[in-house]
Amino acid sequence: MSALIEARGLTIAYAARERHAVALDAADLTVERDESLALVGESGSGKTTLGMAIGRLLPPEARRESGDLLVDGHSVFVAGDEELRALRRDKLGFVFQNPMTALDPTMRAGRQVALALGGANAETVRELLARVELPDPDRVMRSFPHQLSGGMAQRVVIAMAIARKPLALIADEPTASLDASVRDRVMETLGRLRAETRASLVILSHDLRMVARHAGRVAVMYGGRPVETGPVERVLKQPAHPYTRALLRAGAGGEKPGERLEPIAGSPPVLAARAESCAFAPRCPMRQAVCSQNRPEPRAVEGRLVACHFAEAMLAERHAVEETKP
Amino acid sequence: MSEPVVRLRDVWVTYRGGFFRPAFDAVREVSLDIAAGETLGLVGESGSGKSTLGRVCLGLTAPSRGEMFFEGQPFGRLRNRRGQLSVVLQFPEWALNPRLRCGRSVEEPLVVLGVSAEERKRRVAAMLEHVGLDAAIADRLPGQLSGGQRQRVAIARALVTEPRFIVFDEAVSALDVSVQAQVLNLIRDLQAKHGFGALFISHDIAATRYLCHRIAVMREGEIVEIGPSERFYGQPEHEYSRALLAAAL
Repeated sequence: MSALIEARGLTIAYAARERHAVALDAADLTVERDESLALVGESGSGKTTLGMAIGRLLPPEARRESGDLLVDGHSVFVAGDEELRALRRDKLGFVFQNPMTALDPTMRAGRQVALALGGANAETVRELLARVELPDPDRVMRSFPHQLSGGMAQRVVIAMAIARKPLALIADEPTASLDASVRDRVMETLGRLRAETRASLVILSHDLRMVARHAGRVAVMYGGRPVETGPVERVLKQPAHPYTRALLRAGAGGEKPGERLEPIAGSPPVLAARAESCAFAPRCPMRQAVCSQNRPEPRAVEGRLVACHFAEAMLAERHAVEETKP
Repeated sequence: MSEPVVRLRDVWVTYRGGFFRPAFDAVREVSLDIAAGETLGLVGESGSGKSTLGRVCLGLTAPSRGEMFFEGQPFGRLRNRRGQLSVVLQFPEWALNPRLRCGRSVEEPLVVLGVSAEERKRRVAAMLEHVGLDAAIADRLPGQLSGGQRQRVAIARALVTEPRFIVFDEAVSALDVSVQAQVLNLIRDLQAKHGFGALFISHDIAATRYLCHRIAVMREGEIVEIGPSERFYGQPEHEYSRALLAAAL
């Protein structure tokens, strides 16, 4: 069976009056059936554009310049209105960053879930709310969104997303607006529901540590395309792209007492056109002349795809460091 | 030894109950000291009383029982403490008026204190430079800045009066990893320069132990463990602290 979601050389640009910004620069990405994949990167890396393109949920000023994105074998960009509605309704489920803006504030939660189910009775709604681990589903059904906590409201959104048994769940920073202890539990629920329904889960996030706990594969995005894609343990333990390593070093958690965190110097690029060199080169500590002349294409290196001219050198350096350690 | 900036002695905060609702102790018998130039981290799950304790330290919530001292004196009225304490919140949008130019937002606390216009201008420019922002930012609106820049403006506004004590309530939680590292380093450097005492409230134990000198772990209104942050790189004493640490890393 073919991959569930496949982006092929997808280029999407936002056309503003004065500036033209390329958000996705010939991005390639494959999401298999029954897997969880995380798209990670800083703001402006294009992860949200790629995630939302899966349901063609892009703002009107976004334009597809080339490439294509297939969901279950059908292009979302050639789909007609009816086909697109069917796709969003039956095959995809979306969980957005802020549950309070995703829910209708004027409608009781129970009725919103019933609508997502296509007009179901109270019993089915109650069952669904129980599946997303909401205590006291009856109270939740009667409540308006503002009467729920952030974590509970996000669970209602998740219930609506899985209501039609989608093939893929796309979660855009699903826990960014929630409290920490709630964060992990919401992610666990999402992961459990994914495994039960054998759907695929695409998590868009900038939180590497959260990703490490809840995803199977990770695609690190930079400058509008994935620069390193592979199994989570492999990529995060032994990054082969300097950007992945820089992200890991910038995050608190791995440092020793007294060490100073190293933020990545500079800021992510805003591309005006297709990058003809490595987009990370200006911020890269390992850059060479070739980096600003040739665009690195993704290639397989030690069980992952990397778009870097010096991936092997990165890994070799890592091995050398490990050998010198006592 | 000089007096701690903030001293709490057996502080309780009880939220009054209503019909059918029992009274609720958000903070139970908490005693702690925060010295000048020291950052105390406060971690715990949501509902553990972290933010309430932060409000007590800022004088926004009066303790139901117990005492609070500011630089060795009873806290007194908030009005008399203008410019001496400050807060940085999770979302800089909460601190900045979207219709005011950033320079004006940073200047405002000085206006309240009655500082002369010339002096204000000098201090705003110096402050923006300290937080690593270009002087041109002063003429921009918050909506024209990135998240990291906005949080820097909010920090500049909090620091411009040179307060003795600052509460950071989830101040880096909404920022990207790399920007988060920049802001954490910025707070460290500014503290080394200005010597304020700080309370860093966060659910992120990794960021907290990186920034803070000491960490207090809160659970159900009580502080279950307080110790140097080095301890949180190894094996904390209380099992709840260990569970928090295991969940975070």
